[in-house]
Amino acid sequence: MHTIKPPPASHYDEMLAWTGAGPAGVQVQRQLQSSGGQVQTQTATVGPRDHYAPYSDWLTRTAEQSLTQRRAQADLLFRRIGITFTVSGDDSGTERLIPSDVIPRIITADEWSYLERGLTQRVTAINHFLADIYHDQKILKAGLIPREQIEGNAQFQTKMIGVKVPHDTYVSITGVDIVRNNDGKYYVLEDNLRVPSGVSYMLMNRKMMMRLFPELFLKQTVRPVEHYPALLLQTLREATDIDNPTVVLLTPGRYNSAYFEHTFLAQQMGVQLVEGQDLFVKDDFVYMRTTSGPQRVDVMYRRLDDNFLDPLAFRPDSALGVPGLFQAYAKGNVVICNAVGTGVADDKSIYPYVPDMIKYYLDEEPILNNVTTYQCRKPADLSYVLANMKDLVVKEVHGAGGYGMLVGPAATAKEVEEFAAVVKANPSNYIAQPTLSLSSCPTFVESGIAPRHIDLRPFVLTGRSVRMVPGGLTRVALREGSLVVNSSQGGGTKDTWVLGDEGDGDVTSNMEGK
Amino acid sequence: MLSRVASHLYWMSRYLERSENMARILDVTQSLAMLDRSADSGGAMTPIVITEAQAEFAATNLPATYANVIAFLAWDRQHPSSIRNCIEATRENARAVRGSITSEMWENINDTWIAFQEKQKNIDPMMTGNEFFEWVKERSHLFRGVTFATARRDQPYHFTRLGTFIERADNTARILNVKYAEEAPDNFEEKEQDRETDYYRLSAVLRSVSALEAYRDTYRDVIDARRVAEIMIFDAKLPRSLRYCMDETTLVLDELPESSGRNARRIAAEINVRLRYGTIDEVLEYGLKRYLADFLLDMVRLGNAVNAAYMELH
Repeated sequence: MHTIKPPPASHYDEMLAWTGAGPAGVQVQRQLQSSGGQVQTQTATVGPRDHYAPYSDWLTRTAEQSLTQRRAQADLLFRRIGITFTVSGDDSGTERLIPSDVIPRIITADEWSYLERGLTQRVTAINHFLADIYHDQKILKAGLIPREQIEGNAQFQTKMIGVKVPHDTYVSITGVDIVRNNDGKYYVLEDNLRVPSGVSYMLMNRKMMMRLFPELFLKQTVRPVEHYPALLLQTLREATDIDNPTVVLLTPGRYNSAYFEHTFLAQQMGVQLVEGQDLFVKDDFVYMRTTSGPQRVDVMYRRLDDNFLDPLAFRPDSALGVPGLFQAYAKGNVVICNAVGTGVADDKSIYPYVPDMIKYYLDEEPILNNVTTYQCRKPADLSYVLANMKDLVVKEVHGAGGYGMLVGPAATAKEVEEFAAVVKANPSNYIAQPTLSLSSCPTFVESGIAPRHIDLRPFVLTGRSVRMVPGGLTRVALREGSLVVNSSQGGGTKDTWVLGDEGDGDVTSNMEGK
Repeated sequence: MLSRVASHLYWMSRYLERSENMARILDVTQSLAMLDRSADSGGAMTPIVITEAQAEFAATNLPATYANVIAFLAWDRQHPSSIRNCIEATRENARAVRGSITSEMWENINDTWIAFQEKQKNIDPMMTGNEFFEWVKERSHLFRGVTFATARRDQPYHFTRLGTFIERADNTARILNVKYAEEAPDNFEEKEQDRETDYYRLSAVLRSVSALEAYRDTYRDVIDARRVAEIMIFDAKLPRSLRYCMDETTLVLDELPESSGRNARRIAAEINVRLRYGTIDEVLEYGLKRYLADFLLDMVRLGNAVNAAYMELH
């Protein structure tokens, strides 16, 4: 038996909220900063947010030892199944487990339906945007986005100009990184439009939780996510007009950090997992080499960056791709998902324009919030960033994986100074955002249950319509106080529960407020 | 089915079979070491000769003692056919195609590799003993059992079996060739004083291919060299005899796509026919050593033909 220690300040804001006095409440000292800057202390009551109540109730009645045991069981299963990732930049190709936390993150039905509407809107607008900039460029002509922002962007593939993509679906699979801030609102941090990964962890976390804690799934209706591979296959099949197309998943191979996911998805969908060396192009059609001879490939779910796809069209030194693939693609003889050249839209320098895209293409108000973004290429923004760097998160425009960034509040004065010099040397390569207070969720770490910051990556599929399974991958920063959730930087994952409608009681949410 | 996948599956099971065979050879070597106190010790080198690892072992500059040889063949990281490297290669090949085998098969192999790493930490290589060899054999048996019980009888299954039997035939021929043909003259006329040592040597050979019981059931008589050769080459029911391995190989090849496999099937059938209709007297007349040398070359030809038919990428 154990209780969750009363949190200092606003910790555990995922699970707990300031409430009126109530039987479940815990009295804590709450520190508030008044407008004058002095700190006031008041006594307040903390209790679980309503939709966490059944879980919180269960947790307080469960012995910590039993959690420890089940976590050990989970680790063993993950290792046995080989759900590992290879750490990049590590020559020995060490396989590591991504720590999977046994405490779930829970989202209400209302919150999810809001997120689902917002994500659908956002991804739809992005697809319009990509079709536009590779064809008519109306949005540039309208002056909404400066032309040099697109054409000077390394991710803008000039080879794609004028290439017809079936149904104008450029992005079939999107992973949108969302955080819940301490104001209770969700913000989109990033749209991952190239080869977003992590969906296999979402599925394995659920499988593991159902195996380890069956009793919890009887207490509450948790909406299922297991049909993701079926939706993905449907999406890929809808990417072409061919009847009964041959779909394959193209992987860079077993030394890639996400190789487990590639094998898992291919197996779940029942499609071939191919490497570049398995494919060849003849007369602008793509074939795979099989034991019974060549077989045509119609749709390719590629987990390989644009640059490596075809040594004849992109990086000539890439041995991972297929010579002639781009030519076959440009002729419409094979569909590649996601399309070539989508990276231009998930660049951090384009991110600030997504709300404009939504208004321009859909004539709608954006549903999801964007984070205020300072573009260092603008002199006014640059001087603001340099002056306030210790309060900001500064990121490389093309960076990913938590590399090449500065988290101001967590950095030393010396680190801030050094990073400022780097930014000044090449301002257009950086953007900055205010430090969001990512919500924190109880997490079972070495020292027991403690608050850790989390984000959320739902996976949005675009076929003939936009679909997603409820939830996504919740990533958790396992280091105390850390805001960096990337698995390459010591992040872990949690099962993400979206509750069914009936389980929510009278929860009303205010996250749509502006 | 992808050619690359076929190749990974074939090599996955070849390496697993090789690790098992190595464990069998080393297990027998160790029990013979207890008889061989003379320490002139040509005997210690036997497993090195069987597995053609002379150059690799020489590179270590270690004296050819039983303990050194066993430690080298079980654990050495530089030697491609050490048990360690065979298990790792099995697991790497399986990992490359984990989507094409059942999850039970993959988890079994992955488990073996995880448990092996524990053993590596806990076992002193110079003290490697029967318990470890039994474990290796058991993991190999277990994998075959899991495969038998869970895999659909389609191409991945057939390529897995193909690797097993080609590797096993090759290994049985090698054991006979070295353990035997070098020690006994081809005419098999034995001197009285050799009888006793031969008994142990020959029963060790039989044990290394799990054939001791089969021998007793078949001949119900003393162990002699001629019959040992006969049962290991020609017995149709002994799962590690050359005949049995080639019967299975022929059957497996018949299940694979016909269009590209004609040459491989033909070579396998030719080898098989010689085993079906040959006799031990003919073999001895031709010369056992020569016969086995021919057989090993045939296996190389077969391996190349299978590769060209199904696994070549370019």
